[in-house]
Amino acid sequence: MHIRRLTGTAALATLLASSAAFSADLRTTIPADPAMVDPITYSELVAGDVMGNIYESLTGLDAEGNVVPMLAESWEPLEGNLGFRFNLRQGVKFHSGREFGAKDVKYTFEQLLTPGMKGGLGARYLDVIVGAEAVKDGSAAELEGITIVDDHTIEIAFTKPDVLFPVYPIYIMDAGIVDEHGPDWASKVSAGTGPFTFASWNLGQSVELDAFADYWGGAPAIDGVDFLVVPDANTAMSMYEAGEIDLLYAPPTLNRRILTDEALADETLRVPAAQIRYLGMNENVYEPFKDINVRMAVCMSIDKEAMIEGLFSGAALPLNGQVTEGVAGYNPVLEPIPYDPEAAKALLAEAGYPDGEGLPPVKLSTTEPNKNEHIYYASQFQEVLNMPVEVEIVERATHIKAMNGGEVPFFAWGWSAGYPDALYFLSQVWYGPSPYNRSRWQDDEFDALIEQAFETVDNAERYKLYNAAEKILIDDYGTCPLTVRMQVALVKPGVEGVSLSPFRFLPFGDVTIQ
Amino acid sequence: MTTAAISRSDFWLRFSHSKNAVIGAIIVTIVTLAAIFAPVLAPQDPGKVSILFTWEPPGDRYTLGADALGRDVLSRLVWGARVSLLVAFSVLSITLVIGVTLGMIAAWSRGWPDSLIMRTVDVVFAFPEVIIALLIAAVLGPGTLTVIVALSMVWWPGIARMTRSLVLSLREELFVEAAVACGTPPWKIMWKHFLPNIISPLIVRASIGVGFIIMAEATLSFLGIGVQEPMPTWGGMIRDGLPELRSDPHLALAASASLGITMIGFNLLGDGLRDVLDPKGAR
Amino acid sequence: MPGYIARRIGGLLFIWFVAVLISFAALQFVPGDPILVLLSDQSGDAALEARLRADYGLDRSLPLQFIDYIGSIADGSFGLSYRFAGREVIEIIEGGMWITPLLAITALVIAVPLGVFLGIAAATRAGQLADTAIILLLVCGISIPNFALATTLVWLLSIKAGLLPVAGWGSFSQMILPVVVLTVPPVAYIARLTRSYMLEVFEKDYIRTARAKGVRDRLVVWRHALRNTLVPLLTSIGIIFGGLLSGSFVVETIFNIPGLGRIAIESIFARDYPVTMSVVLLFTVFYSLINLAVDLSYALIDPRIRLQGQSA
Repeated sequence: MHIRRLTGTAALATLLASSAAFSADLRTTIPADPAMVDPITYSELVAGDVMGNIYESLTGLDAEGNVVPMLAESWEPLEGNLGFRFNLRQGVKFHSGREFGAKDVKYTFEQLLTPGMKGGLGARYLDVIVGAEAVKDGSAAELEGITIVDDHTIEIAFTKPDVLFPVYPIYIMDAGIVDEHGPDWASKVSAGTGPFTFASWNLGQSVELDAFADYWGGAPAIDGVDFLVVPDANTAMSMYEAGEIDLLYAPPTLNRRILTDEALADETLRVPAAQIRYLGMNENVYEPFKDINVRMAVCMSIDKEAMIEGLFSGAALPLNGQVTEGVAGYNPVLEPIPYDPEAAKALLAEAGYPDGEGLPPVKLSTTEPNKNEHIYYASQFQEVLNMPVEVEIVERATHIKAMNGGEVPFFAWGWSAGYPDALYFLSQVWYGPSPYNRSRWQDDEFDALIEQAFETVDNAERYKLYNAAEKILIDDYGTCPLTVRMQVALVKPGVEGVSLSPFRFLPFGDVTIQ
Repeated sequence: MTTAAISRSDFWLRFSHSKNAVIGAIIVTIVTLAAIFAPVLAPQDPGKVSILFTWEPPGDRYTLGADALGRDVLSRLVWGARVSLLVAFSVLSITLVIGVTLGMIAAWSRGWPDSLIMRTVDVVFAFPEVIIALLIAAVLGPGTLTVIVALSMVWWPGIARMTRSLVLSLREELFVEAAVACGTPPWKIMWKHFLPNIISPLIVRASIGVGFIIMAEATLSFLGIGVQEPMPTWGGMIRDGLPELRSDPHLALAASASLGITMIGFNLLGDGLRDVLDPKGAR
Repeated sequence: MPGYIARRIGGLLFIWFVAVLISFAALQFVPGDPILVLLSDQSGDAALEARLRADYGLDRSLPLQFIDYIGSIADGSFGLSYRFAGREVIEIIEGGMWITPLLAITALVIAVPLGVFLGIAAATRAGQLADTAIILLLVCGISIPNFALATTLVWLLSIKAGLLPVAGWGSFSQMILPVVVLTVPPVAYIARLTRSYMLEVFEKDYIRTARAKGVRDRLVVWRHALRNTLVPLLTSIGIIFGGLLSGSFVVETIFNIPGLGRIAIESIFARDYPVTMSVVLLFTVFYSLINLAVDLSYALIDPRIRLQGQSA
């Protein structure tokens, strides 16, 4: 709050008016300290929640999850789709006051690839750039494939087509920051162009941001954002109820408590997450999954509607394919797999396992937070199919490594989109060579369609390829699509302008507090 | 001044006159019977999932309501008693045997066995109990055996230290010196003279102990590193129920009440027994 | 006495070393590899995994890793955190380092006199209504799980009545609820022990003699009985302090206090071994110091034990 000395009645009236729209800090919670506030090493969710308000990428998202121009105003593909030319936004200032330009994009990309930087999530999107390998192995300092045409125009050349490159969320940082503040700058200042600047980080307590007055999209109406570190969900909920925070992104454990409370109805935001959920059936580890009839039988024993009501308190939607609604390339006409215990039994018998006879025992593995969901699946498989299933709770990192290694026979897991395009789900979870194809389902035709999609610039054309590939997966019962999680958030009355997108909160630049 | 002899009839007479002891004994008996006869008493299969009846309030279908998966809370409470008591009695037996034996040896010998035992006690003591339990649970993987091992590790040093300090003060008593002078072998002195004289504080300690162990098991389950599914535990039920305290309080309330009443039962029984067993009749 | 103290301090150092060794060893067996946690969804990328492992010195032999760790304790950094890339562990724990002992000692300072008072009150009225009432209260105090008590108090006092903050750390009012929740079990525990020991002491010959001589009751209680009750009670202070440190795990989680208990739980779930080990070590240090203080005062109160300590 800036307090100015004002004289005269008109000025007094202004003062009164402005104090009516009293602005303050927006207070919300994060479930842990961010692991970092550095755009180069950035690699996890909580850091993303904080840094999304400080840093911006070439493109951004609107409230519906559509891609919109951000630091790049427009872009066009280079010849043969082997790269892009970006026209960067003019008049954008970094938090340092320096002007944003092409040099900063180049600097950021090189930093991400430099060995020893422990390049975070951003780095993996850059492998396709000409010269990326040389920077990664230390034999070159500069990215050969980048040409600075002028201060606000940059060309990036690829080794192979990657039409989604402009969509990739890579935080762009101020190239001059290290010269000004030294290598440990990230603990002192922020180097972004976003609506808020980094103010302080009190480990275990809070991360605080200040409004950036020179933000190119207009200075925020609030003074700043306080992210309080509150690991316990029930505590966060109590703090919201007691008015100690203005905004709460509720973890699923709070869904029932929030959604059954009439008094909270007007304060609740509900938006489906851009996150698929699927049942992994790895036929390399569990022989019976080789038979499509067994996979069909498994899929038909799950009652998604009952599960959504009973288990998720309504905070979920059934998923028919492997792309969520709102993500580009979603197919709205996919038929759901019906819940049909009788048909499931018959299919299992057809596969040579009448009433489950002859099925070897199998473990349905998961981590602690997903326990109840898996107990439900197991109870359905036992009751409907008489399948000898046992639920196994595993430590998370171990489970992920085992899944990535293709060692887990049977599991339900999710995958959150990193950018709003169906290719994210299809190419990472179901494409044969992907390291995250955890159930090892593979189909040559599917893989060919995905490879073709990477080279198809035309959106409508590309979406057709997605739909065709997705249909191959579903028709083969390569998985049982499960549910889409409904994100639930609470906003105090008087707080306006909070947007919950399928990708969590949008930056709080437009928020006002009455 | 040795006082071991309370005749059996005397014991029961005093016992029946102690309100605490009787109320405690009744509660403990009920919980124990429930635990033993859980398979007969539980109205339903405690693991039976009914997704259409999640969080069903208490009523005809479920006497005490259903949990997040539509499982019968009453049946799970009864089976949960089994887990709690199994853990408590296992830990108590293990720690009493180890703790009392080592405590007596330490107090009697005073030499290097004392140093060895007490330094070991110090080392174990040097870790807060949750840390020990957490480390053991993490190493062995969560489960019933883990909880028993972890809590035994935590509990025996307390018993040993207490036994040692009690025996130390007793050693100075005349009757012990007399016994030593008569050439009574040490094990006999420990068994005949020490044990009866330290039994009363030990019982108080053990009765508090059962309660604490049941609570510790619940806390470990509450933190997610205790006894695992599909075994129902009170701590796990409280953890699952707490977030829904406002909308569906039956789960958290039923499990907390079972835990609380059981603890009250053991504590009252312990107090009562103490009064009864106290040779001078402190009442 | 000085020799005794020197020996005890030597013992302390030994215990601290063993504590480091044990926690280091235990954490090697914990399922869940910190590098895998760092990699998260990217695990499977063997090259990245190998590079990170080398960066963190995890490709070295265990004895070397252990020596590294001891060295980092000596220079006060306590090593590098796995979760917070590039940060020294001391940066992560220094904020919470004094919070947990402060909470525990505050609770202890309140619990001891209150517990002793209640215990005496009950013992001097043994068998009467007041005794039964106090016992019942104490039994309830021990029987209510701290997580249930904390949840109920927050609901009643913070959300319904709006009297106290729900959670957080930094102001006096934020300290009240956590201290109350922490204090209840030790008060009950101390009171029960006091009652039990007092009743026992009442039966000792010298007290009976004193009573028979007509010394006024109150004087008997305070002068003789209390003195003889304090000794066994003192032994329990260590246990109680340990219980308070343990209680801090639940209390700090529920009241969102950035103390060592919460740091420990978070670091265990994040597989941030160096942080976990440092917290274990700090807990051990606080705990053993309290036990040392207990033993020393123990020796002061009861000369017979002091003699023993010296001859041991």
